[in-house]
Parts: sequence; structure tokens; C-alpha cells
Amino acid sequence: MANLTKSRRAMLRQRKYRYVDRGFILLLLTVFQLVCAVPVVFEDGNFYWKNGAMFLGYIVFEWLYVAVMHLALKKVNFELEFIAFFLSGIGMTLGASVSKSAQLKQLVAIALGIIVYDILLWYLKDVRRVMAVRLPLAVLSLAGLAGAFVYIRFVTGAINGAYNWIVVGHGLFSIQPSEFVKIAFIFVGAATLDKLLTSKNIYLYLFYAMGCIGVLFLMKDFGTALIFFFAFLVIAFMRSGDVRTILFVCVAAVIGAVLIVYFKPYVAARFAVYRHVWEHVDTSGYQQVRTLIYAVSGGLQGLGIGNGRLRYVAASTTDLVFGMVCEEMGIIIAFAVVITFAVIALYAVRCARTAPSSFYAIAACAAAALLLFQTSLNIFGITDLLPLTGVTLPFVSQGGSSMICSWALFAFIKAADIRTYPKLFKVNA
Amino acid sequence: MKNTTRRAYVIYVLIAAFLFGLGFLLYSFIAHGGTWAASRLNTHVFTNRVLTNAGAVKDRSGTVLVETKDGKRVWNEQSGVRRATLHTVGDAQGFIATGVQTLYRAKLIGYDFVNGVYGKKGNTDLTLTIDADVCKTALEAMNGKKGTVVAYNYKTGEILCMVSAPTFDPLYKPSDIDTDKTGKYDGIYLNRALSGVFTPGSTFKVVTAICALENIPDVQTRKFKCEGKIKLGKGEVICNGVHGTLNFERGLNVSCNCVFAELAAELGRDKLTETVRALGFGKAINVSGAKTARSSFDVSKANKADLGWAGIGQYTTLVNPMQMLQLAGAIANGGQAVTPYFVKKEAKLISLPPTINKNVKLNAATADAVKTLLRSDVKNYYGDWRFPELQFCGKTGSAEVEGKKSHAWFYGFSLRDDFPVAIVVCLENGGIGLNDAIPVANRVLQKLLQRF
Repeated sequence: MANLTKSRRAMLRQRKYRYVDRGFILLLLTVFQLVCAVPVVFEDGNFYWKNGAMFLGYIVFEWLYVAVMHLALKKVNFELEFIAFFLSGIGMTLGASVSKSAQLKQLVAIALGIIVYDILLWYLKDVRRVMAVRLPLAVLSLAGLAGAFVYIRFVTGAINGAYNWIVVGHGLFSIQPSEFVKIAFIFVGAATLDKLLTSKNIYLYLFYAMGCIGVLFLMKDFGTALIFFFAFLVIAFMRSGDVRTILFVCVAAVIGAVLIVYFKPYVAARFAVYRHVWEHVDTSGYQQVRTLIYAVSGGLQGLGIGNGRLRYVAASTTDLVFGMVCEEMGIIIAFAVVITFAVIALYAVRCARTAPSSFYAIAACAAAALLLFQTSLNIFGITDLLPLTGVTLPFVSQGGSSMICSWALFAFIKAADIRTYPKLFKVNA
Repeated sequence: MKNTTRRAYVIYVLIAAFLFGLGFLLYSFIAHGGTWAASRLNTHVFTNRVLTNAGAVKDRSGTVLVETKDGKRVWNEQSGVRRATLHTVGDAQGFIATGVQTLYRAKLIGYDFVNGVYGKKGNTDLTLTIDADVCKTALEAMNGKKGTVVAYNYKTGEILCMVSAPTFDPLYKPSDIDTDKTGKYDGIYLNRALSGVFTPGSTFKVVTAICALENIPDVQTRKFKCEGKIKLGKGEVICNGVHGTLNFERGLNVSCNCVFAELAAELGRDKLTETVRALGFGKAINVSGAKTARSSFDVSKANKADLGWAGIGQYTTLVNPMQMLQLAGAIANGGQAVTPYFVKKEAKLISLPPTINKNVKLNAATADAVKTLLRSDVKNYYGDWRFPELQFCGKTGSAEVEGKKSHAWFYGFSLRDDFPVAIVVCLENGGIGLNDAIPVANRVLQKLLQRF
């Protein structure tokens, strides 16, 4: 990075002063979260002090985190954290309003997410470290995923017809291994020091990707398989720029999909309800129909937290949470929530332009694209614009694995921001 | 590195696709939100798929037919009113597709895109143009027979009375309604006025008369002969009596089959079909959002005798009662058919002009000539005593149906300027037009006259 140009240096200077006032944003966030917490804490005239304490604890933590990071560690950029706090807060609020006892679990999940986020940010600082673990991580993650599949398949058994959940401690909590492999998938894919980014060096990655996607298919987790495939395409393109190879992979995938549908018709049957949900309101279209009905029932401002009806439908705070945000918090907030992911993607592209190395650029773009793609599969799936695949809405859906993975993906994006590792720049420059 | 940076722009494509999808989702919310929110599965407004949380439905004088009180749907307290207005109001489960509780669900639950389901509280009531008392009288007058009675103001289009039988009390829905095999509930979820079609019998002679008036210049002065039957080609048409020599007017008065079968055969398939189309029989009428059943008239394969039968409303012809009412209205109103409606239009500042159904093409001169003939029917044949003070015009019908009693028909209109009302009575297998349908019509009209 010796060739840092004048214009880039100017950009660096400029950026330093362009961040929006952190205190003001935190204040807005606090007001929003307090307003949302009130109907949960004071539901039906009762006072749920434990939940109140958890909301307050969450808000205090947000302030402390920013204060410590800024004052002690001299960090300046917190945009991603604010977004993650905002989204996680909404998810936790809706989860708590449906089940008071679920809040602690979700709070712990957020805390774990932040820990993973900061560890990853620390680790990503040195590209040499990244390169060193690349191969072991690839082997370990693929073996882990395969092992998890075998364990679920032959020991614990399927949940909702898929083998993607490991239940631990008699149902105390459950882990979705594929969420953690997502982190490794981007890590392994983006880690490259090759100066020449050509098609040659994507083949090894192709085998790794095929392995992961293959296991996901065996797990019958088609939504996550699709997300992995998509992330692979983005990474492969950014690494090689080889449109021909990517087209070849796509064609192969389509042929594979056709073969699967041909030999395993039940896979196609799962998607048969697509665009026909109103003909199957009590069976395979149950969730989509309820989501549509209640998403529009709230209007632009929503019916208020606790006043919705989608909350009584299974998976309301996980897969269908977008519908719940629409109904209870209004279409405006719901759309703001999902547009956030488009904004993050824009941010990632901008960061990639000035990233200290191609690893950061590729990882940031891949992570942002993955989040945006998963968001699309989720919100368009439950509203029947795309087939329903049962993936979560990052940060907002309840669930520890999904929460930790979402924060970890944010670490990849933040690592590409020029302000994150200022020393790295100075050394290189 | 530079390459990677440039390749990052592929993300823009994703963002564009995502925003496009989001735009489409928003469009779907706006375009279909009303239908979705009004789904019976929406527990905000339905309980066990029964409408519970919605605006009131009132009749023209403000009598509440059904409303929501304390989270419960409360019906009018009179069983007679409930039964008589059931098909117009609609049942709780939505089996009656043309009832306003089904057709106007989105309005009744007060949904709009901006405010959602509880948005427009207070402005969710619907006022109908029907008079509950008159409907109750009509149902009583039908005396347990199946069929329909509809009356409307042919100048404004307001439907004043609309009753369909068999019916049931929505408050005490019979438990055997879906399992009964005796046929007493046949088509009970059908509003016969809107969704029924029946053999028209002699009422259809008015259509043949219109065709004759427009195509045979001297038909009014021509002499016809009736010997109880008429030979047409290889077949024949039987008459209801032996009328001897008679003119066109008398032919319609006594409803002579020979006269109209002869005219139909003479006019031919094309001219008859053309008239039937011009009178709007081929097209459904949109009655406040409910589409009527389409009448059918097909003589493309008819021989001369068939054509004769078609000319007197038999053969394969089927008509919808609302369409017959509209025809009566068009004749009464100088050829202009005002489209009937039963949900009060919300007029702001100025009153809305009546909606003319452009599918009905009847010239004023023919309309006036037919009006005179129909007045003659009542005055010279049925007797004005059957319609006291009404200056009524009309035509009866006793439509023969295979193996069953004939349908008793009557439709007509009043000439009084202060009572511009047309009516149609159709009693399914109900007997003779003159003896069975006219008394029902008169009883409803007299009740209506009191309320006018």
C-alpha cells in the first residue's frame, strides 16, 4: 500500500470529520428504545421490573460501549454498531413482548454477538494472521458442518423436517451450525494475498463451497444453501472477475437443481405453494397468508407493540418478524429496517474502494451482499414474492446463532472501513 | 486491488434488485392490502371466520340491520327483517357472495392503507337503499314460495325492495342447512334477484313485441287469428286458449301464444337475437359491485317451431330477474335504463345523477308504444282493481318448466310521477302469473306507496 495517492489521503482526512455526532444518535436511539420498551414493561397495567431492568441495561450498555471504545481505545466510527443496536433492539423488544422470559436469552445472544464482533475485529487487523488460519479454518468448518449433520441425523433427529438444529441441554438452547460456518465461509473465501486475482485461485475455494452447500442440502436447509451459493458467486467474482467461470458455475447449479427436482420431487413440492398461498391458507401457505394479512393491518404507523395478531402465529418472532414489525410498529419502520441493509451494502462498497487490502474489500462486500441477500429471501419469502425458504432476518429475528453470525458479518464490513485500523494505514503509507 | 474495487460495483446491481423488490412489495401492499385485511382469517375483525368487528349495515331509513356492539355482531331484532334482508346484507360466514357484508368487507372493517384496520372507526357504516319493512312484507307475501321480489325507482336506480327465498334467520341458522336432502334449502345462499336465471315465459313476449314494433311497420294494425294452436314448419305452438281474431294489443293483453309465435317465426333468428342483445340481455349488470347472472338466448339452431316457442319465452331462454326489472325500468323511463343499485352512493354537496346502463338500447318511440301496450294489459285485462291507485303497467308470465309447476312471473311499473317504481316478481314453481304473482306485487307496492 505504498502507493497511497494524494486524493486518497485527502479522503482519509475528510472522513475523519464526517462522522455524525455520536451522542446525538445515541440519544435518539435511547428515546426510540424507551418508547418501544414501555408497552412491554407495563403490559396490561402490570410492571415487569425484570424486563424493565434488561431494557435499561441494554441502553446503558450501548452508551458505555461507545464511551469506552471512543475514550479509551480512540475509536471514531460507530455507524455499524448503531445500526446493529437499533436492529437488535427491535428484535429483542418484539421477542420480549411475545414472551417475557425470552428476553434474557436474546440479551445474552446480543452480548455474545458483540464479543465475537470485537474479537473478530481485533483478529482481522493483521492480514498475515488471517492467512495463517485460512486452511485450518476451511477444514475445521467443513468437517464441523458435516459432523453436525451426522450428529443431528443419527442422534438428535430432524426439527421441522430439516437437520439444521442441534438441541443442547434438554432444549435449554439450540445451535444452528450453518450460521457459524457462514462466518468461516467469508473468512476463507476472502483471505487471499494473491496479487493477480485470476480464476486459477478460485478452484480450491470452489471445492470448499461445494462441500458446504452439499452438506446444507443434506440438512435440507435450502435457504441457507442458497445464501452460501450466492455468497460464493460474489466472492468468486470479486476474486477472479471471471464472468465465464461464474456463468459456468451458475449453469451447473441450475442443472443440479433440475436434477434434484427430478429425482427428489418432494423438494419441488415444498415450493409448490409459491404464488398460490391463498389456496392453501391452512396448510403450506399458512405463514405467508397470515404475514400478508397482518402486515397490512397495522397501516403506516402500526397498531402498537402488543396489539398485533401475527404474534400468535408460530415463528412470529423469528422467520415472520418482518410482518410483526409491519403490524405493530408500522410499515414505515419496517421498511426502514430492511432498507438499512441496502444502506449497509452501499457503505461496504464505499469502504471497499479505500480498503487497506483486497481481503478487506472482498470480505466487506461479500458480508454485505450476504446480509442483503438473506434479508431478501426472508422478507420476500414470507410475503410470497419469492418461495419461502425459512431464513432469518439478520439481527431482528430471535435466535442466538443468527445474532452472533450477524454481528460477525458486520465485523468484516467494519474491517474495510479506513477509520477502523488507522495504524495499519500509517504503517503502509 | 484496483480490479477488486471495480468489481465491488456488482453490489450496486444487488441493491437495485433489492430496492425493486421492496418497491414491488409496497405496491402489493397498496394494491391488495384491502383484500388481505378483509380476509376472514384476519382475527382483528373476524372471530372464527365470522365478521365481528365491523361497521353497521342500515336500511334507507336508518334501521340497523346488523352492527357490532361490544365486540359482537348484533342483528336486527325482528326475525322477519333478518330473513327478508339476509341476501342483501349477507350472512356472517360469507356464503352469500353478493351480500354487502362480503362485497363491502374492506369498507365495513374500515381498512385503509395508511391507517390499517382500526383506522377509520365511525365512518365504516353502510347505508342501503332498501326498505327493511317493505322487504319483510314481500317475504310474507311470497308465502313460503321460492323466488324473488325486487322493486326499484326507475328514475334514480335505488333498489327499494330485494328479497330472495328460500332464506334463513342468520341468528338461528338451521343446523340441517348443508345436509338437507328434501330440497327446501335449494340455492339458499343465492340471491335469486342477482344470481338466478329462470325461464321467462310470457314476460318475454314484451321483447318479441319490441322486435315486432321496430321491424314490422303495420304490426299495430294487423289482424291475427288464434285457433288454439299454430302450425310453424313441421311443429306447432299450443296457445293458452282459443282467442279467435284479435289485434296486436289484444294479443299482448290475453298473452296469446299464436300471435307472438307467428311474429317470432316471421321476424327470424337474426332480428330476434339483435333485439335481445340491444336490450342488454347478454351482458351482466353491475349492481353496486355485484354482477348479475347473464341471461341466455340462443336460437342459432332453432327451427321455425322452436323460434315460435322462443318468441313466447320458452325454448332454451333463461333470464335474470334483475335484467327484467331493468327492462321494465327502461320502458317506463322513455327507453333509458337506469342501472339499479342497493348501496347508497355517498354524494358530496350535489346529488349524483343516475347511472344510465349504456348496454340497453331502446328508442323512445318504441318505449312509449310498449308502455301504452303494458298499460292496456292492466287496464283492459288484469284490471286496475288489482293495483289500486297505482296506474300500473305490466306483463304476467307463467313459464312452463318440465315436470313441475310453472314459474309465476309479473313485472311492470307505475306511471305515477310521484311513484316511479318498477317491480319484478318471480315465484319459482309458484303457479300462474295473474293469480299468484300479481297479488304479491300489489301487496309490496301498496306497502311501498305508504312509505314513499
